[in-house]
Amino acid sequence: MPTTRRQFIKRGAAMAGVSFLLPEILLKGAHGQTAVDPNRRILVVIQLEGGNDGLNTVVPYTNDRYFSLRPVLGIRESELQDAQGKSTIITNKLGFHPVMSGIKDLYDKGRVAVVLGAGDGPNPGLSHFIASDIWQVANVAGDNSEGWLGKFADQGLAQGAGVRVLSSDDRSPRALASKKAIFPNVPSFAAYNFQTDAKYPGNGRRQLSTFNTYNSESFPPDSFLAAAAEIGLDAVEQADRIGAVPSTYQSPVIYPANNPLAARLKMVAQIIIAIPEVEILYVRLGGFDHHAAQGVAGNKRIGQHATLLQYFSDGVKAFYDDMVAHGLADNVLLLQWSEFGRRPNENGSLGTDHGAGSLMFVMGNPVRGGLYGQQSSLAPGDVDSDGNPRTMVDFRAVYATVIEKWLGGDSQLVLGKQFENVGFLG
Amino acid sequence: MAILTYDEAAHLLRRLGFGGPPDEINDLVARGREGAVDYLINYENIDNKAMDDALTVAGLTENRIGDNVPIWWLARMLLTRRQFEEKMTLFWHNHFATALSKVAYNQIYLQNLTLRQSALDRFDSLLLKMAQDPAMLVWLDGVSNVLGNPNENFARELQELFTMGVKDLITGDANYTEKDVREIARAFTGWTFKQKAKPKFRFQLRFFVNEGQHDNTSKQIYGQTGNFSGEDVISLIAARRATPRFLVKKLFEFFVYPLDLTNPDDRTTLEKFADMYMTSDHSIKAVVRAIFVSDEFFSERARFALIKNPIEFIVGAIRMLGAVYNPGAAVFLPALPLRVRAKQMGLDLMNPPDVAGWHLNLGWFNTAAMLERYNFANDFANTRLFDATKTQVWLTGDQLKKYTDPSAQKTVENFLSVLGPLNASPEIVQVLTDYLETDDDGNHVDFVVNDATVDKNVRGLLRLVLCLPQFQLN
Repeated sequence: MPTTRRQFIKRGAAMAGVSFLLPEILLKGAHGQTAVDPNRRILVVIQLEGGNDGLNTVVPYTNDRYFSLRPVLGIRESELQDAQGKSTIITNKLGFHPVMSGIKDLYDKGRVAVVLGAGDGPNPGLSHFIASDIWQVANVAGDNSEGWLGKFADQGLAQGAGVRVLSSDDRSPRALASKKAIFPNVPSFAAYNFQTDAKYPGNGRRQLSTFNTYNSESFPPDSFLAAAAEIGLDAVEQADRIGAVPSTYQSPVIYPANNPLAARLKMVAQIIIAIPEVEILYVRLGGFDHHAAQGVAGNKRIGQHATLLQYFSDGVKAFYDDMVAHGLADNVLLLQWSEFGRRPNENGSLGTDHGAGSLMFVMGNPVRGGLYGQQSSLAPGDVDSDGNPRTMVDFRAVYATVIEKWLGGDSQLVLGKQFENVGFLG
Repeated sequence: MAILTYDEAAHLLRRLGFGGPPDEINDLVARGREGAVDYLINYENIDNKAMDDALTVAGLTENRIGDNVPIWWLARMLLTRRQFEEKMTLFWHNHFATALSKVAYNQIYLQNLTLRQSALDRFDSLLLKMAQDPAMLVWLDGVSNVLGNPNENFARELQELFTMGVKDLITGDANYTEKDVREIARAFTGWTFKQKAKPKFRFQLRFFVNEGQHDNTSKQIYGQTGNFSGEDVISLIAARRATPRFLVKKLFEFFVYPLDLTNPDDRTTLEKFADMYMTSDHSIKAVVRAIFVSDEFFSERARFALIKNPIEFIVGAIRMLGAVYNPGAAVFLPALPLRVRAKQMGLDLMNPPDVAGWHLNLGWFNTAAMLERYNFANDFANTRLFDATKTQVWLTGDQLKKYTDPSAQKTVENFLSVLGPLNASPEIVQVLTDYLETDDDGNHVDFVVNDATVDKNVRGLLRLVLCLPQFQLN
C-alpha cells in the first residue's frame, strides 16, 4: 500500500514550496542548453519480460555442447555478423547475437559491461511470476511489499520534491513499489493530463479544486479509498508538468521507428532532459517467452528473438547517442534484467522452455566495460537436475554494486544482506 | 426468504454484473436473497432478444464479426439482460487468460463461446474444453508440443495458474515438481486442431489428437505411473484438494473480498467453499451459488471491498445511469472508443498482459490509469450529441434531469445513490453541493434547475462523482 495520509500531507507541503521554482526549470529546459549538474546520477532500468535467452544473446560459439543442445537455434561463428557483414564477436569464445551491432559498438568503446551467469541461485524459480517477483523484490530478509528500487527510494529519494522516480509503462512495476510514495507511470505524454468540459473552459478550475478537496478528506489508512485518493492527487498534481515534457525537447538523434523499446527510451530521454530532479527511470519490453518459433533455420538475423534483441540493441544505442547529444552521457547508467534464461536444449518447436542462469547488461559511460562473472557451464555434470545452467553471479550482487557505486546508497538496507562488488563500476 | 435490502441488491448486481438503474435493483429486492441470486445465475431463463437484435443491426454476428470480437463482447456487456453470464465469462477470461497478442480473432471468439457455454459446468469439463481449445493450443504452444520434443508451456501453466498454484494454499506443500511439468507435457503431446473441411466461415475449427505425435508411453505423474492421456491428467488434477482451494480463492477474491490466509477465519471460509466443490462433484454452479448466498458475501467486510476493474468502471457507469449505448448502425464499425478507453485504464479486453491475467484491485491503480478514469468520466458526462453513425454512448439532458432536484444537496445525494449507492461523508456531500452553488469565479450562486444548469453544473457534478474515490470501488 502506498503513502500514509500523514506522509502524503507532508509531501504535499514540500511540493507547495517547490512549485514556485518550476517555471524557471521549464524555462531553462526550453533553451535546451542548461548546464548539466556534473554530480547528477541517473539510473535507467530495462526489463526484458518473459525470460530472455542469455545463450543466444551472448553466444558461446566455440562450445560444441551448445551446438549439440541447439542443432537449429545455435548461432555459428560464421553467423555472428550484422547485416552489413560486421562481426559481433567480442572474444575468442563469445559473440553478441548478430542483430546487436548497436550494443557491440558501445561494447567496443568500453561502455558495456556484461555480467555472465547472473541468476537467482541454486533453486531457480521457473515460474515467470515467482521469478519476476524474486528479481523485483530482491530482499532476502523480511518485508516483500516493496520493490528493490522502491525500497532504495524510501531511504530518502521518495520524500524529495518533484518527480524523482518514474516508469514509462502502462502499469507500475513491482520493482518501484514503495511504502512512502507513488511514482508516476507514463505510457504516453498525450493522454497524461486532467481534462475538463471543453464547452465550459471557465469551469475547469472549479472542477479541479473540488476534486482536490474531496480527495484530501481523511480516509482509513491503507485502504483502497486512501489509495484512490492519493494516487489520484499525485497523478493530477504532476500531470501538467509531465504532459508538457515533449514540448521543449529537441534532438539530432532519430530513434528507430517501429521499435517499442526505442519509443519508451525516447520518452525516458525527454523526461531526463526536462525534469532535472529525476533519478530512477524504468522501461519494459515484453515478449521474450519463446517456447516456440524463437528463431528460424538458416537466417539468425530474423525470427522473434532476433526482432526483440534488435529492439533492445537499437533502442539502447539511440538512447545513448541522445544522452551524448545532451551532454548527459556521463550521468546515466543503464541496467538490464530478465526473470530467467532459457533451457539450453531447444525444444521441438524451435523454441526454448524456461531455464536459468542468464546474464545482465550494465551500460553507459560510468561503467568499466568488459565481461564480468562467467558463462555457466553446459556440461552434463555441471547443469542442475532440470538441465539448467547454474548461477555464477547472484543478481543481487549486481544490484548492490549499482546501489553502492552509482546511487550512493546502502545496499544492505535494501537487499537485507551484503553482496560483493561485481566491479563494473570500479 | 431472506430479506434483500436495496443496498444489498445493488451490491449483488454490481458484483454479479456491472450494476443497473434503480428499477433493476428494486426488481432484485422483491426476489429476496436466494431468489435474486437464483434469478441472476440461471440467466438462460432471461429473455435477451433485445440485445440479440441490436447486435444483428450493428453487424456483430458470427458471420460478419471479423476483427470486432472485443467490441462484440463489450457490446454484450453493455446491452445484455443476463449480466452474470458476461461477468462469469469475464472471470474465466481472466482465469484462462489468453491474448490477441498471440492468437487470432476467430480463435479468441471461439474460446469466448466455450467459456460462456461451460461457465457453470463441472470444472473438469471446462478444463478439458480449455485444454482442447484452439486459442489455448496456440497461446500456450500446445500445437507445437510433439512426441520426443515436448513443449512445457501448457503443462506448467495448467498447474500453476489454471488449477492448483505452485503451493497448496492451506498446507503450503509443493503441488508439483519440475518432473511433473515435463511428464504432463508428454501427456498432451499431439493435441492440436484443424480447420473443418469446407467451412462455411472461418470459425469452424476442430480439435483432434495427432496420434503420430502423441507420446503413448508410460508417464510418472504425482508419484503414479501409467500411460496417462491428457484427459487423465485433467481428471487427476481436478480431483486434488489443492484445486478447489485455488479455484475458490480466485472466485472469492473476484466476487467477494481479498482473503488473508494467515487468518484462521479466512482459511475456514476457503475450506467451506472448497468442500462444496468436492461434495457437488466439482460443480462450478454449486460453488458460486453457495458463495453468492453466503453471509460473507453480504457482510460489511465485503461492501466496497474491491477496486472496480476498468470494464466495471465504464460499463457500470453507463448501465447505472441508463445511458444510451448505440453499438453502431453499420456493418463496418467506426472508431470504437470504449474498448480503447478500457485499454488505457489497463484492461485491454481479450488481450491480457500475460497468462496470469490482470492484477486485480491495486493492480488497477497507477497514475496513468487514474488520469484515464478521470478523463473518461469527463468525456462520458459531457457527450451531448447523438450520432447514429457512430458507436457511442451519450446522456441527454432529460436523463440527467431525472436525478436533478431543486435542492443542490438533494441533487448530489441522488447522483451518489444512483451510482452506488456510495457512502460519501457529509463533508464530501458538502463539497459537491458547494460545486453546484458556485460560479466559475468562486462566488456563491443559487442552484436553479433549468437546461443551462443541467448542461453545465449537473454534467460537471456527474463527472466529479465518477471521479470520487468511492466510485472507484466495488
